[in-house]
Amino acid sequence: MLGRIRGMLIKEFIQVFRDKRSRFLLFGPPVIQMLVFGYAATLEIRHIPTAVLDFDNSQVSRDLLSRFTASPYFDVRARLSDHRQIGDLIDRGEVTVALQINAGFAQDLRKGQTARLQVIVDSSNSNTALIAVGYVNQIAARYAQEYQRVRLAATSPLIQPHIPSIVLDRRPWFNTDLDSQWFFVPGVIGNLILVMVVSLTAFAVVREREIGTLEQIMVTPISRLEFILGKTVPFFLIGLFDTTLVSLVGTLWFGVPFRGSIGVLAIGAILFILCMLGIGLFISTISMTQQQAMVSGFFFNMPAITFSGFGTPISSMPEFMQWLTYLDPLRYFLDVLRGVYLKGVGLEVLWPQMSAMGALALVMLTISVARFRKSLD
Amino acid sequence: MTNHDTAPVIARDLVKRFGDFVAVDRINLEAQRGEVVGFLGPNGAGKSTTIRMLCGLLRPTAGQAIVAGYDVAREPEYVRQRIGYMSQKFSLYNDLRVIENIRFFASLYDVPASVLKERESWVLDMAGLNGRESTLTGTLPSGWKQRLALGCAVLHRPSILFLDEPTSGVDPISRRQFWELIHTMAAEGVTVLVTTHYMDEAEYCNRLVLIFQGRIVASGSPAELKQGAMTGALLLVECEPLGMALDVLQQTPEVADVAVFGNALHVVVPDAKAAIPRLRTALSQQGVTVTKMEPIRPSLEDVFVSLTTAQGALGKG
Amino acid sequence: MRWHRLSAIMRKEIIQISRDLPSLLIIVAMPLLLMLAFGYGVRFDIQHIPVYVYDREGSQQSQDFLKHFQATDYFHVVKTVDNYPALIHALDAGACRLAIVIPSDFSEQVKTGGPVSVQALIDATDNNTANVSISYSEAVIQTYNRTIQLEWLRRQGQAELQSPLTVDIRTWFNEDLESTANIVPGVVAIIMAVIGSFLTSLTIAREWERGTMEQLISTPVTPMELMVGKLVPYFVIGLLDTALCAGMAIWWFDVPFRGQWSVFFLSCTLFLIVVLSLGYCVSVVAKSQLAASQVALIATFLPAFLLSGFIYPIDQMPAFIQLITHLIPARYFMTIIRDVFLKGTSIPFLLDDLLALAIFALFLTILATRAFHKKLS
Repeated sequence: MLGRIRGMLIKEFIQVFRDKRSRFLLFGPPVIQMLVFGYAATLEIRHIPTAVLDFDNSQVSRDLLSRFTASPYFDVRARLSDHRQIGDLIDRGEVTVALQINAGFAQDLRKGQTARLQVIVDSSNSNTALIAVGYVNQIAARYAQEYQRVRLAATSPLIQPHIPSIVLDRRPWFNTDLDSQWFFVPGVIGNLILVMVVSLTAFAVVREREIGTLEQIMVTPISRLEFILGKTVPFFLIGLFDTTLVSLVGTLWFGVPFRGSIGVLAIGAILFILCMLGIGLFISTISMTQQQAMVSGFFFNMPAITFSGFGTPISSMPEFMQWLTYLDPLRYFLDVLRGVYLKGVGLEVLWPQMSAMGALALVMLTISVARFRKSLD
Repeated sequence: MTNHDTAPVIARDLVKRFGDFVAVDRINLEAQRGEVVGFLGPNGAGKSTTIRMLCGLLRPTAGQAIVAGYDVAREPEYVRQRIGYMSQKFSLYNDLRVIENIRFFASLYDVPASVLKERESWVLDMAGLNGRESTLTGTLPSGWKQRLALGCAVLHRPSILFLDEPTSGVDPISRRQFWELIHTMAAEGVTVLVTTHYMDEAEYCNRLVLIFQGRIVASGSPAELKQGAMTGALLLVECEPLGMALDVLQQTPEVADVAVFGNALHVVVPDAKAAIPRLRTALSQQGVTVTKMEPIRPSLEDVFVSLTTAQGALGKG
Repeated sequence: MRWHRLSAIMRKEIIQISRDLPSLLIIVAMPLLLMLAFGYGVRFDIQHIPVYVYDREGSQQSQDFLKHFQATDYFHVVKTVDNYPALIHALDAGACRLAIVIPSDFSEQVKTGGPVSVQALIDATDNNTANVSISYSEAVIQTYNRTIQLEWLRRQGQAELQSPLTVDIRTWFNEDLESTANIVPGVVAIIMAVIGSFLTSLTIAREWERGTMEQLISTPVTPMELMVGKLVPYFVIGLLDTALCAGMAIWWFDVPFRGQWSVFFLSCTLFLIVVLSLGYCVSVVAKSQLAASQVALIATFLPAFLLSGFIYPIDQMPAFIQLITHLIPARYFMTIIRDVFLKGTSIPFLLDDLLALAIFALFLTILATRAFHKKLS
């Protein structure tokens, strides 16, 4: 038994490492994708292109607007004099936010009436719009708060210091600077491993079927399990190696902190890779050609990635989709990756994720092995 | 439970259906030790399907296959240890070197390390690949590839060998060398089942089984088939113009069959002596000049054509 | 160009497509799958952020304060705990993204006045969600502050004060700031990129792989006829798929369509020509179906996904990546399709992007013809 598995392993490794191109394909694309993703994937919004239209042109209005220009979130690209220009600029996509202060702004404030700041936001990109709206509100609220305090200090200097106000004492944990690379880089590791392992495994079996060598192997006394082990162990090892490689890029190049233990990450990676091997094998049992395997792989990978919480949180998805995400192994692996990288937590916290991946791996491998027949029909 | 009295290969009422299509229809067969049995038949007749069922690659819809004394459906792994198989498509790894392919299959067949060296050199000798051990298999000429594939299929010294059109696309000289190898092995007691549609190859077999539309329509040694399978005598007719002669002969009642062979006609009649003068007259009446008309020994091809047309007519009728 | 030869090639192509399961899957199921995966899986309108609460006081006042968090859709108060370790564990395990701690003298402090600090522990692993939770919390607290301050001032015998500033925000084009309105039109572009290049690269590479291409070339058919004949069926399929996706966007996801259909189809036509020619180039250059599909995926899907502004805003990327995005045709199409859907922009405003697409279309068609000629000689 060991002799046959060893024979399979030697053969697989010879094939994988024979030519330069396939050697490169194993390690090149993950690293390149890691770099592109690391730089391109960010949902942070800064320097929002902004137009201002100040009809009041008073000390007060300029003071309010300066709070926007001083923040890193808004870049004033245009100072307008006609409000019709706003529509034009927004239609062209040149600005996303327009701030408008009407004449009489300063006067309203002085009289103790409510002054009005008009804001127009291009929300065709809902993410930018959401964040812009949030920043506008924060800046305006802070301004109002301070203005009131100053006014109260002038009118009733005795009670002013005693006015109650709740202050949010924000303590962002794990990613104190809210750096988006810290968030995305561990996620990309999960994505890359998923795509690599699933497609390599599926192709490895289907290719043998397509070129006819599978038939030759089937007539030898090799057992189903030996064959499957011989086919999957190489990709298991390659998967582990790729995990190490992209993790190193994440830590050394992007400077994402690694706060947990390598052992915990290794356990998570092993369980996750087992799940992906199961899926890759399953795809190979339903595909006759590499083309079919490619398409089936795509059909698995896309939803697995979008519903894993890779980019946006699962809690915001529709409820029935949230239930589906429990079947997605990547969901758990992302928890493990982010937990180990940023939170520095161990098995005492991650055991539910680990068990879920273990269970999924067991189910998927069992189904695939059961479906894998040593015959042609 | 290997029993030396039972034949190495036994097929009992083997049936294989793919949906509505009956690919193999109750085939019965026995092959003896050291026998070379050839499966002959047109494409799609069911030869490969039969072989694949005997190797356990396809599960029979009905019937039983017993190979090396074991039921293929029940104990496929025992069977696989004792058989060698070579498919019509070249199925070694093109991206492995010659020696790597040999070692790979040796490990799958559990060839013990103690004899590995000896088997390797035996295969290399047999395939004439000495000195080419580290050539990439994909770059070998197709005749060499076939010999290597055969070598890999017999690394474990199987007592039974299944060859599915092993020489398709191989040049005649390589084919002859290949058949010499097969005969050497048969002489050592290996039972060989081989499918082919080369008529000249069929002559190399001890016994031929003619398969048509999933059934065995005739079987016997090449000589027996040539003698017995054809009812009547075969005439060679050389004449001019050929097309008109064909028309005339097809309308003559006593002609059982007529076919064009090169620039002559092969005509089947019940009795050669009686038919020759009558046919000569009939042809010259229509203005056909006959240069030669004589009885000949039928070739396997004649037998083959005759049997399949007869069966085809039966099938239609 | 002869019509009968052209139509013969097109007929053959259509027959082959209709008999090839993977092709049919790509044509019919892929758009549906991608639409659903992205439409439901990518959510910028972050809602139901899971919140844990540690109310160290448990007074009427503190409960009242917390109700403000419960009342909004943005937060989902999952659990109230009574010790710090439970909070920390919840953050570690990812059971909540935000933990609010109310001090034990909360109501006392509010009564005496002055700033009262409420702790917000934020799981900032996902920096974007963290940012959004901060904004939302600030907004909730502002509202609460206004209530208690007015109350307090009244008790001090002060005249009721007007709020000094209101922000009047108008969101244009996507009033409810829904992600689907932003993402779903973008998916149309992704699907076209996948279909166009994936499908063509596969089928043409297959023709080379099986040797049927040589057979075709040996007939009097001209390379131009061959190319046009092969691409027209995919072009039609691409347009049908586009229509299918647009239909889903409008009727299933309720995305408004405000532009003109003529502009929509004009831009789709240009983009389809771009991706089809790209797929054609890839398939001519690639040796096998496998290589072709992998290259096509890397050349079209990844850039369309990552570098077109589909999810990740281009203006937030590092400068050199922003430069690269100018070479990605999907970038221009992404702008056009979103503008047409949500803004109803007409041609004059889209001239730059349309022109860029047209240049790409022209360039790639020429390249495809050249590549084909080169391969022949």
